[in-house]
Amino acid sequence: MGYNVTINRQGLSALFDLKGKKGAMSDHAGGILPVFPDQHNTYTQSAGSTLFHIGRNHWILRGDISAEDTLISTLKPDQAPSDVSIVQVSDTLTFFSVVGADAAQVMSIACPLDLHSSVFGADAVTYTEVFGLKALVLRQEGGFEFAVEQSFGDLIQDYLDRAIA
Amino acid sequence: MLRITCPYCGSRNESEFLFGGPVGTERPDPNTTSDADWIEYLTVKPNPLGPVQERWWHARGCGEWLTIWRDTRTHDIVEAPNDTE
Amino acid sequence: MTQNNRLTSGGRINRNRTVNFRFNGKPYKGFEGDTLASALIANGVSVTARSFKYHRPRGIVGQGVEEPASLVELEGSDASGNCPITTVKIHEGLGAKSVNCWPSPEFDLGGINQLFTKFLPAGFYYKTFKWPNWHMFEPSIRRAAGLAGAPAMPPAEGHFEARHAHAEVLIAGAGPAGLMAALIAGRSGKRVFLADEGTEAGGSLLSRNLTIDGLPAMRWVADTVAELTAMENVTHIQNATVWAYREHNLMIVNERQPNGKSVLERSWRVRADQVICATGAIERAMVFTNNDRPGSMMASAVQSYVNRYAALPGKKAVIFTNNNSAYAVAADMAAAGISIEAIVDSRKNVPSDVTGLVTGMKVLKGHVVTAAKGHKRVKSVVVSSISGNGSQTIKCDLIAQSGGWNPAVHLFSQSRGTLKFDEDIASFVPDVPAQPTLSVGAANGEMTLAQALSSGAEAGAQVSGGASTETPKTNDAPYAIEPLWRVEAKGPKGKAFLDIQNDVSVDDVHLALREGYTNVEHVKRYTTGGMGIDQGKTGNINIIGTVALQKGVDLQDVGTTTFRSPYTPVSFGAIGGLREESVLFPYRHTPITEWNHANGAFMYEAGARWRRPGYFPRKGESFQETVNREASTVREKVGVYDGSPLGTFELKGRDVGKFLDFIYTNVMSNLKPGNGRYGLMLSEDGLILDDGVTFRLDENRWMVSTSTGHADAMNMHMEELLQTEFPDWEVMITTVTSQWNNATICGPKARDVMEALGTDIDLSPENFKFMSLRDGTVGGIPARVVRVSFTGELSFEVNVAPRHMRELWQKVMEAGAQFGIEAIGSEANHVLRVEKGFLSLGHEVDGTADAYDLNMGWVMSKKKPDYLGKRSVALRRSSGKTRRELVGLLPEDPNRAIPEGAPLTPGGRKEATEGLTTACVWSVVQNRWVGLALLENGHARHGEIAHVRLKDGTIPAKITAPVFHDPAGELLRS
Repeated sequence: MGYNVTINRQGLSALFDLKGKKGAMSDHAGGILPVFPDQHNTYTQSAGSTLFHIGRNHWILRGDISAEDTLISTLKPDQAPSDVSIVQVSDTLTFFSVVGADAAQVMSIACPLDLHSSVFGADAVTYTEVFGLKALVLRQEGGFEFAVEQSFGDLIQDYLDRAIA
Repeated sequence: MLRITCPYCGSRNESEFLFGGPVGTERPDPNTTSDADWIEYLTVKPNPLGPVQERWWHARGCGEWLTIWRDTRTHDIVEAPNDTE
Repeated sequence: MTQNNRLTSGGRINRNRTVNFRFNGKPYKGFEGDTLASALIANGVSVTARSFKYHRPRGIVGQGVEEPASLVELEGSDASGNCPITTVKIHEGLGAKSVNCWPSPEFDLGGINQLFTKFLPAGFYYKTFKWPNWHMFEPSIRRAAGLAGAPAMPPAEGHFEARHAHAEVLIAGAGPAGLMAALIAGRSGKRVFLADEGTEAGGSLLSRNLTIDGLPAMRWVADTVAELTAMENVTHIQNATVWAYREHNLMIVNERQPNGKSVLERSWRVRADQVICATGAIERAMVFTNNDRPGSMMASAVQSYVNRYAALPGKKAVIFTNNNSAYAVAADMAAAGISIEAIVDSRKNVPSDVTGLVTGMKVLKGHVVTAAKGHKRVKSVVVSSISGNGSQTIKCDLIAQSGGWNPAVHLFSQSRGTLKFDEDIASFVPDVPAQPTLSVGAANGEMTLAQALSSGAEAGAQVSGGASTETPKTNDAPYAIEPLWRVEAKGPKGKAFLDIQNDVSVDDVHLALREGYTNVEHVKRYTTGGMGIDQGKTGNINIIGTVALQKGVDLQDVGTTTFRSPYTPVSFGAIGGLREESVLFPYRHTPITEWNHANGAFMYEAGARWRRPGYFPRKGESFQETVNREASTVREKVGVYDGSPLGTFELKGRDVGKFLDFIYTNVMSNLKPGNGRYGLMLSEDGLILDDGVTFRLDENRWMVSTSTGHADAMNMHMEELLQTEFPDWEVMITTVTSQWNNATICGPKARDVMEALGTDIDLSPENFKFMSLRDGTVGGIPARVVRVSFTGELSFEVNVAPRHMRELWQKVMEAGAQFGIEAIGSEANHVLRVEKGFLSLGHEVDGTADAYDLNMGWVMSKKKPDYLGKRSVALRRSSGKTRRELVGLLPEDPNRAIPEGAPLTPGGRKEATEGLTTACVWSVVQNRWVGLALLENGHARHGEIAHVRLKDGTIPAKITAPVFHDPAGELLRS
């Protein structure tokens, strides 16, 4: 019967889409952000915030939803210089966690990317596909977490229920 | 299903990309070019039997537009031929 | 009296577990571990099939996936068609029946075809059923061919699954070569994926009595499997066929009945750095008259039934061979108690290292079997010298034949590797690979166990970057062959088959050659040899040999046909995986989806996978009544719809204005913060890509909205330009479609509803003008309110974060109740936009019309020297040809609807069309049907009558301006 996993559809996170050159971003928000990851498709964490480096001159900052207002007031999206783009995107993604002994097997149904620990390490995060949709996939304690465009959340829940049936 | 190397993310499944077509000639100045040259620019795209330079968008990935050379006979992703920059 | 042909001991079957099954309606018993084929042989069942074309009785010929003769259809919960009888494991309650026969293979009415074989030559169907077209005859021919039907019902329990996997080394086949390669690669720490089509690992070793290092070979297999199982870096699956070799080393594997009851079949898409093909070899038949009679089997199959299944396929056997491998078979058969009447070997000189295996048996060197006799069972064979002298008849009930071995090069060939003819083994072997792949063991033409083990070890070492280790000692005889493509000695008349599955005989190939189909690919298509599920497993090389003999050329010069996937049949379900029922297509919901369902909305997809409400029917209302009510509500009172799916992007940077001026036809860069403008986007060839509204939020921040269906394409378009054409421009794009949901409140009472909701935004027309934007709160919720209109009425688009959308919606409904607010669906929206003559992508914007045709010349900037599409539009218009232009249509009969898409022709005559109806709705303001159309020279024809031409008549309609409500646009600005 099914797989040994626990799947959770999570509540909102505070999310900010950050675009621009690293220097400019650092000048504007360096004090608020975790240390910039030095590798592509990895993340860093500090004080409850996570910084995903997921594209050329592109990061996503994730924090607890309770910190959203604080982050807005410190990141100051409205006051960022012209070469720094900070956009609140908390509602755009829905996160699912897939944790447990069979997490990798369930992920292999959903995702064509190689998520083996030898190539997708403890601090790995990347945009790839989950059930044919663009998704942000990352490794977490005991399994994986992934996020899809929020409006596809019900579809993904439907898929996951079928996968572990 | 090809494997395509994104300069940012490395080797990924073709399904993460959208095809952007072969790389054609540079856009002529529309205010000075002749009708014939404009039509040529719009409609005549490279379609060789062999290596072709083409663009792909890493749509379900990092969003990078990338350029590769693909051999249309084998699907092999190849180095740029010597006679091109 | 069951299992009379079962040996009292031996075999890899569990005699403690009897299994009951049914075949063609009759009950039988077998043992756990049996295939349907081995169980039927143990029960003495001889005729298991009728042939595809001639309905000749057929028996079991092979022992694995190569079985060409007996296909079965499984019944009940196993329902599945066209399964080789040799690949079906029996289990309690299994039901199976033969395909190709009715009512049974013993008594088949279709067998009457045999009397007319001379009228059914190769190409018969092409020649006969070509007028007026093949499809007229196809159904009855297919029924006569009797291929199994598709299962009528989905499986009662369980589901299919498709997985992705990644390996440094994928090994296809767990015979001796594959196991050895896996062992060496696995020990080196490589990530290995080993898949084998059999129920147990071992390949040919399961059926042969061989030793490795002095111990039974299956001991070595068991030890190796145990070691592999213990390795975390090795995935080893059985009952799993590698059926496709795609580009860039993508291998597709079909695993049947994986562990865990809920998964019926699992499809694996494995991406491998290196592939090792250890797929073994398939024995080929001898080509003699009536070589297809039940009781005529492959020697290796006989060996398998005797050794692996302890089942006797006959009592008195003749062996017919041209190579060494059949001698060990003869020894095993004799040991099992089968009387060997003769070994007929076409070679004059037979190596002594194999004759030593059959001491005391009659060996007829330089002899051939010219024909088998018997109808539903072989009764005897006619044997003569190879030149045709000294004909004799030998009684027997079993022919074990071996025409040599064909390396299973299917996967290698699918990968586009080339093949070469190897004289030593008289067959094709891998030559130049096209992808990172190695072939080992018999799949590479290395026919002995010792060679298989050493080539497997070498490949395993090579992919691990190491050197080959010593390989174990083995005891099989060397391999040698002298090819015999067909028996030429004259014997009794009859058909000699090359491809038993497709009923292709030597005569058919000769006919194809005589009629000019001389290329081997043409021979294949004309005769159908090697097609279908056989895919060249048993017949191909003999066909090529026959062609070569007839043309007097070498086999290398004839070449092979292309091997195609799947190697063996695969269920569609396994390929689809989870994708069925509700997840067959993706779908998107907004936070209002539940509310829509609860309020009786009829939902359907409306662009970019969004499920949206089409309309909200009330009890007793017809469709038209519902749509009229919703549309009237907006015109007379106030309506609200969920506009969340609209594509929305935030653009940031110093150069956004310049960029927007390039991608839109009009000027955007001079917009003041807080204001917006409608814009049209063209592709470089001048066609309309999209339209939408752009707002400037502040000096360097902009918000661009696109149509729902084109949001992703617009994102692609903008990113392509920025990354490839203007990499130096400072423009950064973030998709915020799902950061904003909106409730669009529209109608004359819209401002009243907004006021009732409560807002800190000044709503007065002079301070909050049409096409402007304000941030504030609405009903206590942070909101961005935009004054745009897609209905032609006063509208407020209230944008909030999705987390607040349900709350907003509820408040809008409560605040609007006193004004008669109603939710409206896409259908009413369609009516409202047609009444206003607003464009719709896919209707009026059809890929031919330009802005001028659509009465929107004003949007084409004259000031800007360049923007996307400008030159192309000018170029197209400079030809002076008449254009199809947007007009309104008023049917002369106001109660007559025009079907959307209906063509217009001059005078309604049967002539070339001069336009088409792009939309037609019942107008609630005009109280009649109104339409929009693209009509040749339409702008100059207002007031004239156009004619819609339909199958059953014409609809005359007056041509008007394409606007039926508030032409001055006073309402939407109010």
